[in-house]
Amino acid sequence: MSEVRLPNLGEIDEVTVVDWLKKEGETLKAGEDLLEVETEKTTFVIEAPQAGQLVRIVKKKGERACLDDLLAEIE
Amino acid sequence: MTSWLRSSEKTLEAVHLPLGHADYATTYRLQRRLHSLRSHGEIVDTVLTVEHNPVFTIGRSGSALNVLAPPEVLQQEGILIYEVERGGNITYHGPGQLVIYPIIDLRDQGHDLHRYIRNLEQAVINFLSEVGVRGRRHPGFPGVWVNSYKIASVGVYVKHWVTRHGLALNIAVDKAHFGMINPCGMEIEVVSLNELIEGPLTLEEVATGLLTKMEPLFGWRFTRANPHKFWEGWQ
Repeated sequence: MSEVRLPNLGEIDEVTVVDWLKKEGETLKAGEDLLEVETEKTTFVIEAPQAGQLVRIVKKKGERACLDDLLAEIE
Repeated sequence: MTSWLRSSEKTLEAVHLPLGHADYATTYRLQRRLHSLRSHGEIVDTVLTVEHNPVFTIGRSGSALNVLAPPEVLQQEGILIYEVERGGNITYHGPGQLVIYPIIDLRDQGHDLHRYIRNLEQAVINFLSEVGVRGRRHPGFPGVWVNSYKIASVGVYVKHWVTRHGLALNIAVDKAHFGMINPCGMEIEVVSLNELIEGPLTLEEVATGLLTKMEPLFGWRFTRANPHKFWEGWQ
């Protein structure tokens, strides 16, 4: 099981999840676009850190996340 | 040292590509191509400056509900609508507005989205100051303001730490077009630079002045590309 956490994006307090580009259950390749988050009018793309299956989306579209928060789990 | 100043003294080579007047769709394709090249390290930081035909663009947090004018009016005015991947809500681009698209690697700028936006704003504030206009930030609302009026908007997309989209500065815009939307999803009044200064400036003059202010903030030394040669090679 691998955890996808919000990386350090600099001096920001929090981001909003604007879209998941993969659904739960989908198979992922390492480096594939996984979700988009937004802060300060900037969209940032987070990629899958490894290949596997997206087993659980923790922060859903519209939810907020802070540094190191758990976003999803890949198995 | 304030956070928007560079911590590194290293000078980075950068290219300014002044596109003049170019339609939104063509410039958008160009941005995507350059973004891919920059992501693979095949080009250096590249900053496009351009003036578009009238368009409304809707960012990831936006909604077509913020277009107030009916479709027949948009058609009559020749205004197209594009949904794009940048952050933010709806905005307008059109004649009399300088649009700046930096295609740059933020790994050279401290891996910091906040600092990037602050640097874009600071370049505008420093340029405005030079022409006698006091620009300021409005906490919680990225962009640059003069009193309660918005003069510059930002909206950015970052993938692999490389940016596209960017900044729009009003020089002499048609406010009737802005009146057809709720800019940023809010009731905002905009202002143009040439309303605030005595002698009007051209977009080219503003582009040169603004990029001069960007150089120390981003640690760049610009080389100016020839747009005619560029378009011949790209089309």
